[in-house]
Amino acid sequence: MKTLRYLCLAAGLGLGTAWAQPLIIAQGTDAVTLDANDATDSPSATVISHISETLFKLEPDGSIVPWLVESYEVSEDARTWTLTLHDGITFHDGEPLDAEAVKYNIERLTDPDNAFAFAFLLAPISEITVIDELTLELSLDEPFAPLLAHFTHSSTAMQSPAAIEAAGEDFGDNPVGTGPYRFVSWDRGEGVITLEAYEDYWNEGPEITEVRFITAAESTSRMALVETGEAHVAVRVPPQDVERLDANPNITVENTSSVRTIYMYFNALREPTNDVRVRQAINYAVDKEEITEFLLGGAARVSDAPISPGVFGYTPVGEYEYNPERARELLAEAGFENGLDITMYSPSGRYLQDIQIAEAIQNQLAEVGINATIETLEWAAYLELTNRPPEENDVLFAMLGWGTVTGDADYGLYALFHTDQWVPTGSNRAFYSNEEVDSLLDRARTSTDPAEREALYAEAMQIIWDDAAWLFLHSESQLTAIRDEVEGIIVHPTERVLAYNARFR
Amino acid sequence: MLSYLLRRSLIALPSILGVIVIVFAMVRLAPGDPAVLLAGEFASAETVERIRERFGLNEPPHVQFGIFMRDLVQGDLGNSTRTRRPVIDELARYFPSTLELASAAILIALLIGVPAGVISALRPNSVADVTVTLIALIGVSMPVFWFGLLAILYFSVQLGWFPVQGRGTLAHVVLPAVTLGVSSTAIIARMTRSSMLEILSQDFIRTARSKGLRERVVTNKHALRNALIPIVTVGGLEFGTLMAGAVLTETVFNWPGIGRLLVDSILARDYPVVQGAVLLISVSFIVINILVDLLYALIDPRIRYD
Repeated sequence: MKTLRYLCLAAGLGLGTAWAQPLIIAQGTDAVTLDANDATDSPSATVISHISETLFKLEPDGSIVPWLVESYEVSEDARTWTLTLHDGITFHDGEPLDAEAVKYNIERLTDPDNAFAFAFLLAPISEITVIDELTLELSLDEPFAPLLAHFTHSSTAMQSPAAIEAAGEDFGDNPVGTGPYRFVSWDRGEGVITLEAYEDYWNEGPEITEVRFITAAESTSRMALVETGEAHVAVRVPPQDVERLDANPNITVENTSSVRTIYMYFNALREPTNDVRVRQAINYAVDKEEITEFLLGGAARVSDAPISPGVFGYTPVGEYEYNPERARELLAEAGFENGLDITMYSPSGRYLQDIQIAEAIQNQLAEVGINATIETLEWAAYLELTNRPPEENDVLFAMLGWGTVTGDADYGLYALFHTDQWVPTGSNRAFYSNEEVDSLLDRARTSTDPAEREALYAEAMQIIWDDAAWLFLHSESQLTAIRDEVEGIIVHPTERVLAYNARFR
Repeated sequence: MLSYLLRRSLIALPSILGVIVIVFAMVRLAPGDPAVLLAGEFASAETVERIRERFGLNEPPHVQFGIFMRDLVQGDLGNSTRTRRPVIDELARYFPSTLELASAAILIALLIGVPAGVISALRPNSVADVTVTLIALIGVSMPVFWFGLLAILYFSVQLGWFPVQGRGTLAHVVLPAVTLGVSSTAIIARMTRSSMLEILSQDFIRTARSKGLRERVVTNKHALRNALIPIVTVGGLEFGTLMAGAVLTETVFNWPGIGRLLVDSILARDYPVVQGAVLLISVSFIVINILVDLLYALIDPRIRYD
């Protein structure tokens, strides 16, 4: 079997043409839906990114380029956006991508009756006017700077209106976009999705004619797939397997940063975490370097801001170095010279090594006299418990992750730190509230000057950091195992594996 | 015979109804909100509320139950909240592969377990007996997960004999079926041993031997046939368990089975699929029980059902 495969490989060398061999990518879970507007998970977004394209594209380096849009203009008052599309783009069903189709797509995503989770991305658009076949005008009630970044989010991808109308509820099983790959089939039982290159693709088409996504939930099995050559790419390599896989001459493990930040938030309304000295003490008491080195095998980067590098508006704003002395001093100042008891919550199996990290934090806190008890809950129950309104919410200290998937700081800061965003309305589970931060975040939302926005975010993040709103931990890296016969796989910071530039060596 | 089947099916109805009520209540009593999970962790309260409305999760539980029962009577199990597809379709997709894996596993268990148990029983306390007992003990106590992963690492990665996962050929079934069948093999071997020992000590066996029958005939025709009833009972129970309880094996080998579908649906609080899957599993158990009873009649002509 193996010999046969090597013979095939040897025979394939030097051909350098389009291969009939499919490229196989193993994900940890199957896609949920392939309807771009409806998807909320990375595996779905990964597949969708090959089928359906967005108006603008977020490059791995964090820059934004017009994609389906050829050019765009923003009016002086920043309330009118004019978009001009490339001529000659077609959906996989042959329908043209024109201004009407774009209008249809934006309206579908934001229609309240559809209840799409990411409707808020384009909600600031109040009116869409079709000017001519390729031009449309978007009107906003208020200037909204992050809109450009939001147009890069995979849930805003353009899909064929005709196909949507025809398929109805089943569109998620039969997606039709403008992307380099066309949907062929989805075996939901086995979690196998097959795509093939779209011959009338408007831009430079892919070299590999068939891409297949397969599912392997158990990480050991997923790695075995790459080791045997049954898959070319496997996502989410367990840190403890990196060394073994890297030692394999046919496999390289790529380490790519992610826009997902892992933190433990403090409840700002209740004792003792409402005391900034206690929050700072905990930040000094935890050795973040040790956690990333020993528990994550280097697959993480110690946080120096509430958001990660690769996001627009990111600036390093500080560090809480490991300093148990300082932690003890601060605790004494706050009146806890004899230590204190606290319950910390952590999910188990949601984030890379989450429960192990919680245990390490527990040990480090014990050294400065904080007696922490770990509570873990299954994910659904965990979300519900941490999502309760302030008066019913007695979670003081809990681990969560946040992916700033739009690539814009607004998405990573507004929902988490603005007073209007306290749970259950938004995602501010810490009940953090600071008038100055609120006003900075509001202004950064409406400013049209990128440099000014960056300055405003830097200022806001500095306050949040000094306030120790969270125990700032790290941003995750993505570990991806890739077989050496494949090159050009892009592992995007938004946790998507992109294969449209890939080729077999 | 037909009237017996009808009677058995009618008797099963109340227990199925009981299962439906219990599952319906339990899955809703568990903390966690399907709408929140559907909306994703980054969604607003407003979005969550809209999703709740869309799936009728705002109705009071007794109204939801009424709707569920009304649809059920019409053969409609509702739609999955996670994939929005009809629950019937989901079950239809997973059930055949579950049946395939469970049948292969029980077949392996019977083919290995019964002979091993017979060998044990024929020479109690011999080396063979102790060996079988020891292997059975290891088989029952071995974590399925660990065994499956080791099997993959050795047979797929090292030797390249079998694929890591996937379906379609016999080679694909071997590792998951062996992994799943290990504990059943052990249980059936132990059951066969004790059942055979009991029969072998009875008077009619002595009579058969004193008639000068060959040992093989005594063992197979007289002893094993009489020992089969408890073996079939255990085999049937095991088969039912394998249908629904293969979650770990299904996860390791990414095998699309009802067990994993059920666990995934519970984690996603996908109420309709949980209800549908549990209903299907209970019905399977009842059908297996009826089949086991019919097998009794085949094995022992004295047992009649009319």
